[in-house]
Amino acid sequence: MSYFVFRNNTVESFFPKGYVFSGYDDISVIPENASAYVWFYQATLGFDQSALENTLRGYREKFSFVLGRIGPDKPFYVLTMEELYAVPFTEDDKRVRRAIGEYNDCLWDAGRTHTNVKVLDFSAFIRRYPNDEAVDWKFYFVSQMGINPRLAKDFRVWWDRKLESVALKRKKCLVLDLDNTLWGGVLGEDGVSGIRIGGDYPGKAFRFFQEALLELSRTGVILAVCSKNNEADVLEAWGKNPYLVLRKEHFSAYRINWTDKASNLRELAEELNIGLDSFVFVDDNPAEREIVRQMLPMVSVPEFPRQPYELPLFFKKMVEDYFTVYTVTEEDRKKTEQYKANAARVRAQQAFTDFGSYLESLDIRMSLEEADDFNIPRIAQMTQKTNQFNLTTRRYTDSDIRRFLSEGWKIWCLRVSDRFGDSGITGCIFFDGTTIDTFLLSCRILGKGIETAFLKYALALLREQGVVSVEACYVPTAKNSQVSGFYERCGFSLKAEEPGGAKRYSLALQDADLKTDKYYHITSR
Amino acid sequence: MEILKDLFELETVDENCSQETCEKWDSLGQLNLVVELESEFGVSIEPEEIGEMRSFHDVIRILKEKLS
Repeated sequence: MSYFVFRNNTVESFFPKGYVFSGYDDISVIPENASAYVWFYQATLGFDQSALENTLRGYREKFSFVLGRIGPDKPFYVLTMEELYAVPFTEDDKRVRRAIGEYNDCLWDAGRTHTNVKVLDFSAFIRRYPNDEAVDWKFYFVSQMGINPRLAKDFRVWWDRKLESVALKRKKCLVLDLDNTLWGGVLGEDGVSGIRIGGDYPGKAFRFFQEALLELSRTGVILAVCSKNNEADVLEAWGKNPYLVLRKEHFSAYRINWTDKASNLRELAEELNIGLDSFVFVDDNPAEREIVRQMLPMVSVPEFPRQPYELPLFFKKMVEDYFTVYTVTEEDRKKTEQYKANAARVRAQQAFTDFGSYLESLDIRMSLEEADDFNIPRIAQMTQKTNQFNLTTRRYTDSDIRRFLSEGWKIWCLRVSDRFGDSGITGCIFFDGTTIDTFLLSCRILGKGIETAFLKYALALLREQGVVSVEACYVPTAKNSQVSGFYERCGFSLKAEEPGGAKRYSLALQDADLKTDKYYHITSR
Repeated sequence: MEILKDLFELETVDENCSQETCEKWDSLGQLNLVVELESEFGVSIEPEEIGEMRSFHDVIRILKEKLS
């Protein structure tokens, strides 16, 4: 069964087809087979303030009742409430508003204390519209619609985006132009101190935009630059102009040259090891935007505002469209540093001729951790986002993972560090009994043999627990062809190959070589 | 016609389409129909008319009154 919505008004047209709805204001039925639940109560419309207050208190009690009866492994999406129609007869009568605040606080509290509860801010949606448009009274009286049905289409778009943000899906990299995008004017003509940044308008607006981008990058969005300029000029500006917020160290990579932007974007994708479909490209020049749209249709290219004073709204919309995510993990916050440390590793590699001595010099430390409350969000995020080194590409939520654990699955995640820095949790392996359900590693730690060491070590742990053989499979996708022969390389024997390209393997553990090279210092807990 | 067809997921639609012959034309379908007609033709359909509107012929009659 699909999603089940608890509601007190007519809201069917606001949700995708296939959703199932409770009776109005009815919590007597809580179907157990729903795949997820939604709580969408709207403020009742009326005039008797104390009656309204009481109704809202009743809603809180109902919500708590339902919350207590929904299993902790079922997602529960909860929408906040907004005052849509108020006729305060006296200015100082804030009883209903306060009661709505308390109701929302109760929802947010549930979100903090229950990992399956995600609170979605309906107020942020409805505030886009003038208050008088929120309710269409004709439809309220005819069909008990608490919200204007004309907003339904927009709402469904918003709803889809919110569910994606809960699933931690978002774009990974923002590529920015420089002249008239990050500052006013043209660096090559106006010079390092002549570009408009900081000070009076329009410099003020560009600086505001840069501050916004800096905070966005702190949530784990990677910033890169693609600009037609002389690299030396830009480096000088980054070093010398005191009003710039974003400088060289904030960008994980850049292409500053006179080559066409589509080629540059392809190179950036390769260097950062991020798919082009995870790129957003921002450029003030409509011709450049059009070329990128034509040549690289998988890159998202938002329209850029004509006037610098429109940048704050542009930024807000861009974040809503591409970068909103329900929570940010510790790994996200460190991402810019990690991508830069990677570049340093690539440079160190060039200095060694023998790969073994390079690996030894890295002082690689790997630690296998069993899944727990602290790392489950990160593990779920990896299953959602990892495309290339991912043997089965099964997407899971944190609720799924909690359920697997309760069913006795063995789930380990991998933390990796070396002398250049801590990459954090960057891989995981799921054993459903003796079957490898999921095995994946983040691309930024590949190229050091860590994948094989991780697999062998995990298998050795299973062998210690008395497991004699394991099964595994490879499921091909558009992006994971690099691992199609991975299990063969690890000594697994191929059992079956299906028409679609999926392959099944097994490995007998007693005679398998599960020793890991001395370069890897591996521990587990 | 097209509106009715899309809204009620019909394979074919003709002039005899009505609430009785069409499975998806329930009270919710009625609501969606009103919203679609209002935005397509730029009219406001009054509650009394919503109650009367039970078939394709009713829709045409009400729209004609509005648009004339």
